[in-house]
Amino acid sequence: MKEVLIPVLLILLAPAIGCLVYGFERIVKARMQRRIGPPLLQPFYDFLKLAEKRSMIVHSTHAFLGIMHFVALWFALAVLLFGGDLILVIFLHLLSTSLLILAAYSTRSIFSHLGANRTVISILCYEPVLILIAVAVYMLTGSFDAASIFNGSEPLLFRMPAAFVALLMILPIKLKKSPFDVAEAHQELTGGVELEFSGVFFAAIYAAKWVDYVFCYTLVYLFGASDPLLGIGLMAFVFLYLNALDNSSARVNYKQMLRFSFVVALPVAFINLLLTILGLHL
Amino acid sequence: MKLNTFRKKSPWILHYNAGGCNGCDIEILACLAPKYDIERFGMINSGNPKQSDVLLVTGPVTKRSRERLVEVYAQMPEPKVVISCGACACTGGVFRGMYNCEGGIDQYIPVDVYVCGCATRPEQIIDGVIQGLSILEKKTKELEQSVRLKNEPVKEGTQLNRRNIAAEIIKTS
Repeated sequence: MKEVLIPVLLILLAPAIGCLVYGFERIVKARMQRRIGPPLLQPFYDFLKLAEKRSMIVHSTHAFLGIMHFVALWFALAVLLFGGDLILVIFLHLLSTSLLILAAYSTRSIFSHLGANRTVISILCYEPVLILIAVAVYMLTGSFDAASIFNGSEPLLFRMPAAFVALLMILPIKLKKSPFDVAEAHQELTGGVELEFSGVFFAAIYAAKWVDYVFCYTLVYLFGASDPLLGIGLMAFVFLYLNALDNSSARVNYKQMLRFSFVVALPVAFINLLLTILGLHL
Repeated sequence: MKLNTFRKKSPWILHYNAGGCNGCDIEILACLAPKYDIERFGMINSGNPKQSDVLLVTGPVTKRSRERLVEVYAQMPEPKVVISCGACACTGGVFRGMYNCEGGIDQYIPVDVYVCGCATRPEQIIDGVIQGLSILEKKTKELEQSVRLKNEPVKEGTQLNRRNIAAEIIKTS
């Protein structure tokens, strides 16, 4: 009973939890810059305001794809929390992102197209690393299921620390944080893929951002899954790390991001895979 | 629960420079910086007309920028308020009567709050935006509707269908 109840509650409350995480993040970010910062429930107020605003849609497919992005992302999170197949989870997340990219390409706005191009490049940066980590998990536990990690004896962090380092490198790309936020780039593209959404449809994209936070922190939690205290500690560490990095670094261009991913993050993930296989055979 | 109250808590700002000298723009950006920190009221400089509520305009409207000004205003979904920042945007300022611009933005779009000063101080801008928010809260759905449609509702069967028009052109060509 308990095994089912906790994931169901987490899945149902995922947007609310993500909202609180995002609100807290904005406060922490403001305090790091010696500002007071918005109230904790600010994202929630934004959501209600956006939901009430008149929605101007570009065309119906565009708006529909925006809503489906949110639904697919929530579904990916549900599969992950129920202990589903990691590869399936990664590809469901890819599906949700590609729905947003399709939506961005379906408009005639040049900013939207640029944002979509850059989002595709950022997918190219983080997707192979995530898959290599999933393969390493398979080598260790003999199964792609996230449930085998939740029920494992020793935390993944101590069994494959290099994978955690690789995850730390790609998380800023995935969450569009500062050194690697070319996909969003608020100063030049004003949001990129989400540019043409407005009203309640942008509220869906905004809520999808919260669900994405929960998704990424769940991926982090997997590394300490068998020891909940360690898992929560890891999440707190990653939270501080992401905010400090976001505040202290300037944006790199997409070539530098691609180079970083292929020259640093991908080899780290690959070495982790080799070390895991080596460790199993020794 | 009325949703109107939440408008006041998260106004997203769109900032447009209609050919000014950048003095007011720097003051607007100073509002976002740590000293004045307008994010504590939930304001974000969103830069995207489709997602913002408050239009901050600076500068006299030059003839090059007036179409963009109206375009940006039209792209913002209701409810919205317009705040003109600085002497130029309110009246034309020192540029009034020059060949390349006309006096003030209220000749092109409706303005809710006028903020004076050359350049405006950040405190004045914050005060103006807060005044604009009380107007934003009062704006109702009836206000947003078109007066012309209200007086003259669309009759059934009188609308033009672009497909029918296009079909005839395609047939002849």
